[in-house]
Amino acid sequence: MLIKNFWSHNARQLGTVIGLVGLVLIFWAWTPYFLTISNLLNIAQQTSINAIIAVGLTFVIITAGIDLSVGSIMAFAGVVMASLLQADQPIYIAIILGLLVGAASGLVNGLLISYGKLPPFISTLGMMSVARGAALLFTDGRPISGFSPEFRYIATGEILYIPVPVIIMIVVYLIAHFVLTRTKLGRYTYAIGGNEEASLLSGINVKMMKTIVYSLSGMLSGLAAVLLTARLNSAQPIAGIMYELDAIAAAVIGGTSLMGGEGKISGTLIGALIMGVLRNGLNLLGVSSFIQQIVIGSVIIVAVLVDMALKKGKN
Amino acid sequence: MKRFLILLIIIAVVIDFYGCREDDTLKNNRPTVALVLKTLNNPFFIEMQKGAEEAAQKLNINLIVQAAEREVDVEKQMQIIENLIQRNVSAICVTPSGSKEIIPAIVKANKANIPVLIVDTRVDAKLLSESGGNVATFIGSDNIDGGRLAGKFIIEKLNGKGKIAILEGIPGHETNDARISGLYDALKNNDGIKILTSQTANWERDQGFNVFQNILQAHPEVQALFACNDMMALGAVEAIAAAGRTGEIIVVGFDAIEDSRLAIKENKMDGSVAQHPYEMGKIAVESALKIINGKKLPLEIPVKIELITKENSF
Repeated sequence: MLIKNFWSHNARQLGTVIGLVGLVLIFWAWTPYFLTISNLLNIAQQTSINAIIAVGLTFVIITAGIDLSVGSIMAFAGVVMASLLQADQPIYIAIILGLLVGAASGLVNGLLISYGKLPPFISTLGMMSVARGAALLFTDGRPISGFSPEFRYIATGEILYIPVPVIIMIVVYLIAHFVLTRTKLGRYTYAIGGNEEASLLSGINVKMMKTIVYSLSGMLSGLAAVLLTARLNSAQPIAGIMYELDAIAAAVIGGTSLMGGEGKISGTLIGALIMGVLRNGLNLLGVSSFIQQIVIGSVIIVAVLVDMALKKGKN
Repeated sequence: MKRFLILLIIIAVVIDFYGCREDDTLKNNRPTVALVLKTLNNPFFIEMQKGAEEAAQKLNINLIVQAAEREVDVEKQMQIIENLIQRNVSAICVTPSGSKEIIPAIVKANKANIPVLIVDTRVDAKLLSESGGNVATFIGSDNIDGGRLAGKFIIEKLNGKGKIAILEGIPGHETNDARISGLYDALKNNDGIKILTSQTANWERDQGFNVFQNILQAHPEVQALFACNDMMALGAVEAIAAAGRTGEIIVVGFDAIEDSRLAIKENKMDGSVAQHPYEMGKIAVESALKIINGKKLPLEIPVKIELITKENSF
């Protein structure tokens, strides 16, 4: 009984982990450069930006919503922050403002969806264009480059051999996991995605919860902007085009259901890692970038097929 | 938790031990050279790849060609370079997707003692030296010269008087800015030429179509167009055709790719500045081998540039 219970709760999770381990083994067998400490840290670092954006999307998708604006919001938050850095403002103020710009953009999404009754797809599609345009307008289309070593430490620094972006990613995941499993906000997020009507009737402030969730997604895009700007030593208004799709893919591979009500933060991390490992391994093998796109697309499809098959088995 | 940590450390040690397996490419004594392109969706870079492949075969070099999925995505290009550093390639040739944004990746390669050769698009020299990075050489054409060639040709075609539009690539992009500054340089002593508008179409064909369609609406009096690459020029050619105005507007592009040479032959386009991407790819791989063998390279290796018109297109 206990085993059966464990299986039904963790089957999907287990499937994703097996997928990741399988990939690691395949690349390990094919190339000696894959399974080294420095490459694994390299993958973790490369995954961090997508993984952080994907946390926001996991929350949003669990409420049965979608957020297409994260890439554009990241670009907008990035250029605003970069302009403050270039104006010699203290680093922490620039970062806080970057996060606020992200959160405010997300807040607009949330308000339009909750109170304006717009479908999330439409609202965030609009925001995708608005935030991109705002970023381009703000910088006149040009990147803002060249920051202090102190700011760049966010991307180049290491604490106990672990790159700072990886540490930030881990902290974000620990907090997100806690919020989603141990707090009201987390439980309400699942409840809204599972059955919005019932949540409303049982007294959950659905509108406010949704607004918070979209603001959170925007704020995490702002955090991703901090990492990206430090990494490239430049904030580009055209950064992050189509990043929303990578983040959605990470959440979906990790077992978050686009129908809402289902998903785990740990699953999203594994999903993001699967994408990072794939890109890295295929690069190491020198596989053509065209084939890489086919492989990544196929993995998304297979992951969802497995998901559906497992669910069918469960019922 | 403690046991888990100990297990993790054991795994780490084992992994690192395995990581020191022999490099099979070194065994047969073939150096590995990587060519990282902006994109493979553009015939210009496919030509470059062909040139590099030919040289690699001749010189018995193991060549890896990689490109990001989207041309504008410098972060993915950086990931590719980081991965190639892990792969411990002997040299990296790169056509930067961002003149400044690629610098952190160059610095990482420097730290790993892997020489970096810049092809086609220059990096920002000031930011590079500030960041403590260095590149082995630059292989490419002088884009300012190319812009100048295009400008002179347009002046000649318009007999020194007329209204022109410009389609830009990504603003702030070195290649783009150099081409435009060359054009302005050619136009500066010519008061008869008026620039109506200069808009970006992000190097892309479909955006070139849309943006020029809008320009035709806003400025129907436009007499000539300079597009910073052929993809945008070809998009504009289609927009001109859709407006039924083929042949009325002088179109000059950049790169002289096959499609635009054909358009020039069919009188849909008037000229295109030709770089020689095949040569660039070839010289890049040859130069990489020289560096690997310890030879010094000049700071810049110029590749010729010329204007293709109906008279010399074949």
